[in-house]
Amino acid sequence: MSADFKDAGSGVRAGDQQRHWVATALGIVLVLLAAAVIVMGVMVTMPSEGGVVNDLQTRLGLIAEEGAEEAAMSPWQVLVAAVIVAALFVLLARGMWALQNWARTGVILMLILLGIYFGLNVVFGAAAEIFGGEQVVGLGAILQIALKGLFRVAATGAIPIAIIYVLITLGPRFEETPGQRAFIDRGIRYILVATALSSIFIVFLIILFTAARSWEAIRDVGLDTMLLGTVWRPGSIIGTEDAQLGLVPMIIGSILSTFGAALIGVPLSIMTATLLAEVAPQLVREIVRPAVELLAGIPSVVYGLFGMVVLAPLIRRFEVPGNSGFGLLNASIILAVMIIPTVTNIAEDALRAVPKRYKEGSLALGATHWQTIWSVMLPAARSGLIAAVILGIGRALGETMALIMVIGNAIAIPKPLTDNPLTLFLVPARTLTGNIAVEINYAAGAHRSALFFTGVLLFLMILLVNSLARFLMKERSV
Amino acid sequence: MSGAQVTSSVAEIQNKSVVAGMAVGSVARRKLSQRIAFGFTWLAGFLAVAALVWIVGYVVVQGVQVINLEFLTTRPAGGVSGEGGMSTTIVTTLYLVVLTIVIATPLGVGAAIFLVEYAGEVQRESRLMAYLIKIARIGVEVLAGVPSIIFGLFGFALFVVALELGFSLLSAGLSGACLILPVIIRTSEEALLAVPRSYREGSLALGATKWQTTVGVVLPAAMPGIITGVVLSVGRIIAETAIFWVTLGGSYRLPTSISHAGRSMALHVYMLASETRAFDKAMGTAAILIVTIVVLNLIINYTSRRLAARSMGRGR
Repeated sequence: MSADFKDAGSGVRAGDQQRHWVATALGIVLVLLAAAVIVMGVMVTMPSEGGVVNDLQTRLGLIAEEGAEEAAMSPWQVLVAAVIVAALFVLLARGMWALQNWARTGVILMLILLGIYFGLNVVFGAAAEIFGGEQVVGLGAILQIALKGLFRVAATGAIPIAIIYVLITLGPRFEETPGQRAFIDRGIRYILVATALSSIFIVFLIILFTAARSWEAIRDVGLDTMLLGTVWRPGSIIGTEDAQLGLVPMIIGSILSTFGAALIGVPLSIMTATLLAEVAPQLVREIVRPAVELLAGIPSVVYGLFGMVVLAPLIRRFEVPGNSGFGLLNASIILAVMIIPTVTNIAEDALRAVPKRYKEGSLALGATHWQTIWSVMLPAARSGLIAAVILGIGRALGETMALIMVIGNAIAIPKPLTDNPLTLFLVPARTLTGNIAVEINYAAGAHRSALFFTGVLLFLMILLVNSLARFLMKERSV
Repeated sequence: MSGAQVTSSVAEIQNKSVVAGMAVGSVARRKLSQRIAFGFTWLAGFLAVAALVWIVGYVVVQGVQVINLEFLTTRPAGGVSGEGGMSTTIVTTLYLVVLTIVIATPLGVGAAIFLVEYAGEVQRESRLMAYLIKIARIGVEVLAGVPSIIFGLFGFALFVVALELGFSLLSAGLSGACLILPVIIRTSEEALLAVPRSYREGSLALGATKWQTTVGVVLPAAMPGIITGVVLSVGRIIAETAIFWVTLGGSYRLPTSISHAGRSMALHVYMLASETRAFDKAMGTAAILIVTIVVLNLIINYTSRRLAARSMGRGR
């Protein structure tokens, strides 16, 4: 400890007097690396026949792949890159030699990145061997591959880890002037601002790209045709009489499926929220809440699969002509289960946010617990509950994969199958989200552009719904 | 809701309940109606749990029947046959998880650090910054509400078409990173906010700079919370289908680099179920998906419970 202290003190005074051999060696290694990079850079710019150089040229993309017209990179790009990398190495070596703290940080970071790279390489190498899929791999072989991978990690990782350890223990010998420290502090601040702005940048890009791509459809097909057109027949050619890209069936499909989901899911969720917030004892809460949270984590394709395999045959039992089991009812049930976690969570929070004195006041007046919940707590939590429902609706509007698996994807406006209006829900339909997902992979031209317009419409709807919910939640917290 | 409004509505409600109480009269009937109402809430809770148990139970029980070593280590046969295993989809999912996490975590944690640690003082320094911070917060909120198919559409337009990355792991990873970015920002923000102020003050008082304090003191203290957020994001990526349906390409072969197309486990379930009708294999893949998600959820529950216990013990 005292030796360390003395070292640090003398380091500050004389800079390079208390040199450690590891730092010196690292500096030399870095200079050698720089030289190697330059040599390699020069070598790959020359044509070669086979061997290591040729292999490297292929890896760097200097040699055109079979089928590609030209090489991915020109030799000059590689040479410039090599010079830059070499210069960075020399700079780091110089910093190491002068025992500068920034060089130490740089070397440690480099080693960590290198370690992550090699570690991932090993993991993916092993995974590719086990899951390559050409033949069945036995349990023994899997164990062998895993052990080999572990050994490789240990072997390649030992030296970098040792160097990092030494560099960290040598910390006090490296020095940093206050100017450098302030410079780093400033620089970091700018980087952090950039990361903080990344999400708004992405939102901006989303709006820019979906809107730009939908412009063609807005110009050629027309807003009114798309928003009011009742027939979606994308196979036809734009400009002729039967060019039809009307979104009304999808809008109705989205609204109906969401309405159905809300009809089933909202009472269930608010009841569950009441149970969790007021009625159930601790033990039950600790079972129900994780279960509800898990519902949110289940992949939507699993819901879709369940709807296809389990619900569809059940719904088919309604003996109505034309009932296939796939349609709005199936979609609404699946969606209802999917929105339970969203609505329940926020509704429970809203109920818990009701001031205790409301409840106590009501109970003191002689109301039963249920009367208190029904006539005091639920009304007091009103705006939070509405926000919960709206967010649930937003979730239902945006759901895609589960829906296209169970809703039937018919592109007509849903009409009841018989005189009974309730059979409307047995009809297959298509939602805005489904419209995009089903057709985007093969659409082209105005058709593709119209799908992007579908996306814009959906984005606007969700934005509206979410800001409404946010507004209500803010109002509650004021 | 304003205070006056609340008071008036409460008064009105209390009137109503008193009137109702008098009208209904007997205590026994009020108790009965409470019992019936509570019965309904229990029923709702039971239904929610039952739905979970039914879905998870059905898929796992059906799925286990096709899961064996051959199913796990051979690749899908492709085409419309629905034959073969799921091995390559496991590797692709692994690739996607690593890619999205590697892209989104530095961005998300950096953004959270800025919003929690720096925003306050920077805001006071300049009006432009105050404006930017406001915008940044709105960006996080909007991004969190964007449905995944929109991310898919965006990724398709930007990465697949405009940047000519094609249907590839890279396109899918970049689009997926947009999906989990708000998740990571929010959980990291919460984790950073939970670090007691005294930690920062102690470090700053010792002469450390803001950044040294953040890296040396605040981040380690917030690390369990941040890791919870990352695990949550892993779950989101494993479960995600819509984005990858539009950007990943759906190839059943083993991707050997990030510019190759692939097929994630969730995408495999979708393609098996809706294109080949091989429901048994779809169930097998779905069972593995569900088990992974349940394990991730257990990890999150465990860590967040321990975190809660720790912060209580600290007596904040």
